[in-house]
Amino acid sequence: MRRVLSFTPVCLLVPLLVLLWASAARASGDCLICHSAMHGAVKDAKGETVQVHLDAEAFTKSVHGSLECTNCHMSFTSGPHKPPEGGTTPEVAALLPYTRLKAKVDPVALAACSQCHPGIYKEVRESIHGEGIFKKKQSDPPLCLDCHGNPHYIVAKTDPKSPVNFANVLETCGRCHNNEEVAKKYGMSGHVIEKYKESFHGKKYILGDKKVPICNTCHGAHMIMAVAAPGSPVMGQAKLATCGRCHKGATEKFVAAPVHKYIGKENPIPFYGEKLLILLVFGVFGFTVSHVILESWAEIRDNIFRKSGKGGPHD
Amino acid sequence: MIDSKEISVKGIKVEKTEVGEQAVPKEIERFNVIFRIQHVIMLVTFLLLAFTGWALKYPEIEPSKWWVRIWGGPETAGIIHRTAGLTMLADFVWHVIYLGYLFAKGMRIRAVTTIIPIPKDIADVIKNYMYFLGISKEKPRFGRFSYIHKFDYWAVFWGMGIIGISGFVLAFPVFSSQFFPKAALGWLWPMMMILHSDEALLAIVFILFWHFFNEHLKWGKFPMSWTWITGKVTADYMKHEHPLEYEKMFGKEGD
Repeated sequence: MRRVLSFTPVCLLVPLLVLLWASAARASGDCLICHSAMHGAVKDAKGETVQVHLDAEAFTKSVHGSLECTNCHMSFTSGPHKPPEGGTTPEVAALLPYTRLKAKVDPVALAACSQCHPGIYKEVRESIHGEGIFKKKQSDPPLCLDCHGNPHYIVAKTDPKSPVNFANVLETCGRCHNNEEVAKKYGMSGHVIEKYKESFHGKKYILGDKKVPICNTCHGAHMIMAVAAPGSPVMGQAKLATCGRCHKGATEKFVAAPVHKYIGKENPIPFYGEKLLILLVFGVFGFTVSHVILESWAEIRDNIFRKSGKGGPHD
Repeated sequence: MIDSKEISVKGIKVEKTEVGEQAVPKEIERFNVIFRIQHVIMLVTFLLLAFTGWALKYPEIEPSKWWVRIWGGPETAGIIHRTAGLTMLADFVWHVIYLGYLFAKGMRIRAVTTIIPIPKDIADVIKNYMYFLGISKEKPRFGRFSYIHKFDYWAVFWGMGIIGISGFVLAFPVFSSQFFPKAALGWLWPMMMILHSDEALLAIVFILFWHFFNEHLKWGKFPMSWTWITGKVTADYMKHEHPLEYEKMFGKEGD
């Protein structure tokens, strides 16, 4: 359904736009008059595709619904509009070289999150994800929108539609952590999500338990760290405290239990142990089933076809 | 008239029954009331455990999700599962202690009445298969417990050892972890989860095929053998199904 339009057909709307534009002061409502009516996408000067449609209702219902468009869209690097007065703040401007890695269309708006959420932005910058973007200049690690979704429709995490809602976290983190390509590129285990789902926590999560820990329960969200990094909540003494939040009195021996570790040949006892047990299951299964089937056959034979007395040799 | 209970007690306790001397009653008590209670507890807790644990085996499929809702959701199902598990373990401990008590009171191990597997059982398996296949015309002659019963009985011991211990560890992981040797931490934890899950499946399949067939569907037993409630079998049944025990109690000619 996505139509990529050139600027020309969009310009046909201009008479209408001008009419509406002139009638009011510059507030979100003004932008929305056109942008909620417009559909499709245009290409900007750099050739990036820009979606022009905005669902006004969903936007006003989102947690940012009361903001002005220009609170985030502080300047327009391209496009038909006149940029708002004031332009970008110095803090936002300083972030642009990094947000450009993530946001092709409006890096200013992505950097603008820091204006209202400075603490969280700082945490993210210091996290392993932030390190990738702000130190290594990688474009894969997530920034705000990769987890929180479309910036115009961000809802509270308690809303089931939020990508960071309890019900959706696994899928959201899994977009990278359950992606073999990404895992390989960054030397991560690509099995964590799948192994978590096989764990006791994961199984209960799938069945709808609301108290089990999910990714961010133990690893944190914005200030997420490499497992072995200093200050990591899942390493050393800190792990005792992290597990201990639910498992009172967690000990070293207790936290040694694998949460979502892949068990391979390097751990031969459980690896081959499981195979041996499957063999045992099938062995017993084979014996019992064959015994039952043969005995049923023998009973039918004795009682119906041989009908001499009650069947056994003891009669 | 000989009280049937007395005979049963003699069947267990008395080393030498006066062969051929006893009058044969119509019914003989096979399991006393303590064994019957132990069995009922085992039966109820087993079903509860199987029902509440099943969804965890394959949580990703849709039926598991509605199934676990029937049991009050994953949290309630977990509470039922742990309670039933502890009750079953207690039942098992009671059974073992009771056996010890019976031994102390003079119960002896004899080939015809013991539940302990003996070489004859293996011969009986082969004989029975030959009979099923029509190779042999003769059924094996069983004592008080055939290899079918023994298999059924010791499966519980196996299950209690494997599923019971791993289940206890999984239900009380912080407490149980103190007994783990440090060197075994790498494999003991994953092993506990594998053991509990795989052996539980084995137990369910086993009960479904072995126990259900042998005690419910066998010719003449449908819908079930009522011995689990009455504790009694008829002398005729005993003569056919447990000829060696019958002969031991009443003699070959006993009728």
